[in-house]
Amino acid sequence: MSTETILHLIAAVSVTLGAAFFFAGTIGLLRLPDLFSRLHALTKADNLGLGLIMLGLILYKPDLFYAVKLVLLWVLVMVSGATGAHLIAKRALRGDGEDMQ
Amino acid sequence: MSQLTLLIVFDGVLLVTLLALGFAAVLSPEPRRAVMLFIAFGLWLSLVWARLKAPDVALAEAAIGAGLGGALMLAAARRAARSSARTDGGDET
Amino acid sequence: MPEFLLGMALVLLLTMSAGLVRVVIGPTPADRMMAAQLLGTSGMAVLLLLGLALEVPALLDVALIFALLAAVSVAAFTRRRAGEDQA
Repeated sequence: MSTETILHLIAAVSVTLGAAFFFAGTIGLLRLPDLFSRLHALTKADNLGLGLIMLGLILYKPDLFYAVKLVLLWVLVMVSGATGAHLIAKRALRGDGEDMQ
Repeated sequence: MSQLTLLIVFDGVLLVTLLALGFAAVLSPEPRRAVMLFIAFGLWLSLVWARLKAPDVALAEAAIGAGLGGALMLAAARRAARSSARTDGGDET
Repeated sequence: MPEFLLGMALVLLLTMSAGLVRVVIGPTPADRMMAAQLLGTSGMAVLLLLGLALEVPALLDVALIFALLAAVSVAAFTRRRAGEDQA
């Protein structure tokens, strides 16, 4: 097996794992009983699923510029996802968001 | 499965859900829910443009159609709810 | 391999369609917002996969806009009125 085949194989496994995380997150979003447990399921899917898919894509196309861009994108998603989840949870808990009533 | 079959299935799923989202947004009675569905509709339409290999249109749709339009309409829906509550004599803000 | 990427994009698209149910049924607005957030992130994944499978590298920038969109809409959604007393 050439190095490229092995890299593609690892990439395929990583992308499949990421898709599995998204699948699990969606199941959680649909099936869990209350808002906070749904939020919990959601953030896992957001960060880890996207990260694994991006890792797979970087391995599939080893290009420095592409890799840097994807990593920056992932950092942005993690920061905004964490902030957003925190805001939603805080407003829902205190019930003082304008749109929460 | 060949690439063509996959693409056709992909297009079918995109089309059906896009239509369903549009109908759900138009027929929804509550403004805030309609806005949320509109944002989801914008995201979905942007995916359609991306599938048609038009990344510039997809960019504009996501930024203006879903992002800016969604945020503005969210504010408008909130204001409408507040003013209708005031005219009804209710005190929920 | 492009077939594989396309197939994965299709799987993600199907999970996104399932997540739409939560946007529609809701019960609270926060639920809808969360579902829209998940929609945005999986949409990003679909765009990245499509960008490689269809060989349109500019789709990466569309994914960037999706990430910004999620942040902006959550901020617009959870804002409070200025002058309200601090809870």
